[in-house]
This record gives sequence, C-alpha cells and structure tokens, in this order.
Amino acid sequence: MDINHDKLLWMYKTMRSIRAFEDQLHTDFAAGKIPGFVHLYAGEEAVATGVCANLTDRDYITSTHRGHGHCIAKGVDIKEMMAEIHGKATGACKGKGGSMHIADVNKGMLGANGIVGGGPPLACGAGLTAKLKGTDQVTVCFFGDGASNQGTTMEGLNLAGVWKLPVIFVCENNGYAETTSPQYSVSGQDIAARARGFGMPSVAIDGLDVLAIHEAVREAVSRARRGDGPTFIEAQTYRYYGHFEGDTVKYRDKDEEEQYRSRDCLLRFRGVVLEHGLLTQAELDAIDADVKKTIAEAVAFADSSPLPDTKEILTDVYVSFPEKEMWPFQAAPA
Amino acid sequence: MITVGIIANPASGKDIRRLVAHGSVFDNDEKVSIVRRVLLGLEAVGVERVWIMPDSFGIGLKALHTLKLEIDVSILDMRRTFSQEDSRLAAQQMVDNGARCLVTLGGDGTNRIVAKASRDVPLMPISTGTNNVFPNMIEASIAGLAVGLVACGYAGEAVHHAPQIDVIQPEASQDGRQPEVSDIALVDAAVYAERFIASRAIWDASKIRDVVLTRAEPGNIGLSSIGGHLLGGDYQPDQGVYLKVEPGNHGTRVVAPIGPGLIRAVNVTDHRLLSPGDEVIINHAEPCVLALDGEREIQIKPGSTLRLRLNANGPQVIDAHKAIELAAKAGFFIQPPEKDED
Repeated sequence: MDINHDKLLWMYKTMRSIRAFEDQLHTDFAAGKIPGFVHLYAGEEAVATGVCANLTDRDYITSTHRGHGHCIAKGVDIKEMMAEIHGKATGACKGKGGSMHIADVNKGMLGANGIVGGGPPLACGAGLTAKLKGTDQVTVCFFGDGASNQGTTMEGLNLAGVWKLPVIFVCENNGYAETTSPQYSVSGQDIAARARGFGMPSVAIDGLDVLAIHEAVREAVSRARRGDGPTFIEAQTYRYYGHFEGDTVKYRDKDEEEQYRSRDCLLRFRGVVLEHGLLTQAELDAIDADVKKTIAEAVAFADSSPLPDTKEILTDVYVSFPEKEMWPFQAAPA
Repeated sequence: MITVGIIANPASGKDIRRLVAHGSVFDNDEKVSIVRRVLLGLEAVGVERVWIMPDSFGIGLKALHTLKLEIDVSILDMRRTFSQEDSRLAAQQMVDNGARCLVTLGGDGTNRIVAKASRDVPLMPISTGTNNVFPNMIEASIAGLAVGLVACGYAGEAVHHAPQIDVIQPEASQDGRQPEVSDIALVDAAVYAERFIASRAIWDASKIRDVVLTRAEPGNIGLSSIGGHLLGGDYQPDQGVYLKVEPGNHGTRVVAPIGPGLIRAVNVTDHRLLSPGDEVIINHAEPCVLALDGEREIQIKPGSTLRLRLNANGPQVIDAHKAIELAAKAGFFIQPPEKDED
C-alpha cells in the first residue's frame, strides 16, 4: 500500500480538523452557544478519514446523527458546517438543518441523518442509480452498532446483496448504542459475521488505525468500481465524549476510556510517520496551527452570520408551500 | 485445584483476508459453542476449575448461559486493554496463578500472542482463525477431554515442545547489553515489502522477501506451504527452513496456497535448512515490515538489521489424539458395569 506524501498530509489534517472541530463544539455547547443537540465524533476520526481518502467528490456517502466527521472528511466547507450548527443563514443548509442534517450534494455528502438506520436505504438508492447509469461511482453508508439492529439496515444489506450494488457498508461500532453496550442490545453480537449472511464479504478492522481502515476500504472500493458488489466493514472504534453533549456517561468506566485514548488515532499516526521519516514534526505542527486558525475563523464566521429570515422557513422543502390542490391543503371533495 | 484457562479471541477469523482473499468468516457464536464443548470435556475427566478470558463479545459469559456444570468456572478478573494484548495478559495471569493448561481459540496469530506468556504450561490450540498451521482443526469435545487428561496428570507424554522463531532487534538493546528476544513467531516470519502495518494481513506474493519457517509440512496453508511444496517434506523434524524470495522470473518458481484461495507462484532464489540456534540476518534497503505468523507486526527501517533465530524450545503443545490414546490404553474410559437395581 503506497500512500503518497500529499495523502499522508491530508489524512493528518482531516483527522486533526475533525478533532479540533468537535472539541470546539464540546466547549461551545457547554457554554450554551449551540442550539439543538450535537453528537460528537471525537475519537472516531480514523474511520471517516480512512474511508474518504479512497473517494472522490463523485462518490457518495450517507451519514448518521454523528456526522460532523463524515462531512469534514468528504470535503464539506468547515465554515459552512459551523454556521449550520449555529443555525445561521450562511450554513451549509442555510441554518435550517443543524447538526444532524448537514448535506452538500456537490461534495457527494448526501446528508447526516437523525434517523438511526436512515442511511442504508438512501445508500442503496445512490448505488442503484450509479449501477443503472453505468458509472463507477461508489456509495459508502456509515452507520453505528445501534443502527445495525434496525430493519432499514437489514433491508439495505439485502437489497445491496441481491442487486450487487456498489455500496460499502461501514458500521462504526463505538461500543455503545446511545448508552447501551452491544452486549445488551445486539443479539448474536458479532456484527461482521451477521453481515456475512447477506452474501457479501465482511471484515472487522481496527477503527482506531487510519491506515488499516484506508487499506480495507481501498479494496472494497476496487470491488465496487469493478462491479463485484457490496462489502461490509465493521470498524471497531470508540467515541471520547458522551452519546450527546450533556450525557454524563455513567455507563462506562474511566479505565476503559483511558485504554482507548492510549490508542488515539492521531497519536498513532504521528508516531508512524515521524518514526519512519514520512512527515516531519514541522509539517505536523504547521497543520496543527493551520487547523486551529481555521476553526477559530469558522467560529467567528458563524458568530457574525445572521439568523435565517423567517420567510425562509417554508423554502427548500420537497414541495413548495403553499401548494394548492395538494394534500392536506386541497379542498375536501364535495 | 486442577485449573485450566481458556482464551478465545473474538477478533480471529475476521481480518481483511475475507476481502482480499477468500477467507471464511468465523462467527463468534460458533466460538461460544466450542467453549461449551471444551468445558464439558474438561468436566468429564476431572478438571476442578476453569478461568475464561473476558472479551468484548462475551464468549465466556454466553458459553456459561444455561450450561449446567459442576466444576467452578469463572471469567478471569483481569486488567483489560481491549486489544490483542488482552490474550497475552490473560495467559500470563492464568499461568502465574497455577493454570495447568491453556486452551486457545484463534489462528496462528492468536497462539503467537498467548505463547509469549505461556512458558511451560501446555497449549491446546483450537483453530478458529484464517491461516491455521499451528492450531488444530479438532472437535472441541475431544480437545476438552485431551486437555483435561493432561491437566489431571493422565497424559503427560502427549505434550511436546513446538519450535518458534525468536526475533532479535539489535537496535532494541540498551546499555550495551545482549539484545533480547523482542518477539516470536510460531510458524513463519517473513519480510514483506510494505511500508505500513495497517490491516496486518499479508496476501501479495510479489511483496514476499525473506521467509523463515519452523515447519514446512506438505499440506500446510500460508507461507509454510512454500517450503512444503519446495522440499516435499525432505527435512528433519527439528529443522527449520529459510527461503529467499525475490520478484521476477529467476530462481525456482514454487506454486503454493499462501492464503485462503490465493494459490500463487513465488520465486525462491535460495534456501537452506536451519538447525536449532541457527540465525538469519535480515537487512533490506527498502522499507519493509516483518510479518509474524501472517500478520504485519514490526516496521523495519531501510538499512536496519534484525536477526531471526530458530528456537527448538518454543511453547509446550498438547497432541490431543495422543492424549486420548494414552488414556484409552490405560483403560481410563472404561467404567465398571452399573449395578442392577434389584
């Protein structure tokens, strides 16, 4: 597996950007600056980064309620993301979606999703489109261990398997569905083995190692592009913060958290590239400084942006409102 | 108390070789079933206590659910790292506290980790991995009976030393002391022309360079099969094999199953048999990794040197069929007739 210098820099910058973005939101949420809920991705950066390192803007991803990392790795503008989460008119979705609905179709980001298990059917739709059009586009469907129990996920796996769709299912198993361990919520707890029953290759990968994720997804993307069908990847990872901001995290112990933090994806990556002279300390430090500046600028941008005009509340929906003769506004039959 | 430890690796049988090769997915629920059968075998021959390594899947807990046993079975109370290191820590704790045998569920990689800490406590390796040369494809009830017989002292002659490869990194020595063994391999150690450890498995035949084997029986899978197909079994049981492999079309082209479904030709440009204590010096100008028992483990900097030494005194291993045979010949399994009620 050859990863060139620019790609290594991109990997580090992407993981560092996600971490800094989430740490900033953690602070700002506690200070009461963020409307609505946020679910932070800190700790899981290696998964989104390792996956998206193999994709282009023409490829698609579907995301989850914990979608900031996916957005950043897929190239969504960080300023617009921050403004969106602050509910401002300059946001990626004009401030009307918030944390759980950030989308940017031009970047192939089909949307974060507040519905647990909402992504797989969308990913199959995107995959079917690519297949019918004869393009080589790939769709990656991110979801969690909780969503692995949802009927929509099972249906998506079945459809993708039956139709041999170019879809890669990436289960981010962070050990807890909200506050519940798979030990209590996933019957036949072996998520990767469960997927094998849908007739597709299935692997479990160390989700704290961006290089391991990158290598596995590279193979899965190759399979999808050459028409060999879907792949299932269980990325075993860990989230540093609670399920949502405000979660007091009483369901796991400090020793477990420390063990996972000792295998932090950023620390491991730095160790590998520095020890083998692939990147320099100066390059990594420059990225750290650059990311810090970018996040500060994003916060300033969000702070200084206006709230959406109330007239905008009924625009950008599937059906313009008010639309006459449409249910439920049409007149009742005489 | 006659105690046996069980170490079941929940991660075995799921790595990238299911994607880049044709490896089977080994379901953890099957491992639960295997542990149950082992426990029943252990109980049947007189083992008094069993410790099971805790794991994220809960293989031990699930195995005990609804299983009625008279013996004392518990999940080992241990510090966990939530990584492969748990297998080594569990083995160490079990051995330190008097376990007489260790049962492992995993592949070559799992057994390598456990063997680092097993010392003279015999292993009963049950295959649930991908490249399986060290562990046996054996029915778990038989394995349980055999382990129990050894633990209870009925079949000590069924235990033998397996060889291992010692990895010695001169750079790792400090204060001018003799370099120590930093790692081991049970079946194969191979230099692989890859910069990163990443997803660990190896599958690209064109990247294989130096290979050291503890065994090369024909019929093996993985890198051991290259030696097996080259030599046709023509070596002594205590000997190892060194193979120099290079890309291109020179040398002897050997076709071998280097992974599940991966039947590839490799160019062996040199080879020699190794006796216990013999060393192979590794030094490459290109960035490489050292793969141990099929998994990339150690990054090798260009120009750095390390040594691979064949060691005849590796882990102790139970020959299950021999253990059963010994007990059977001693009449262990023959019970007196039941008395008539009247």
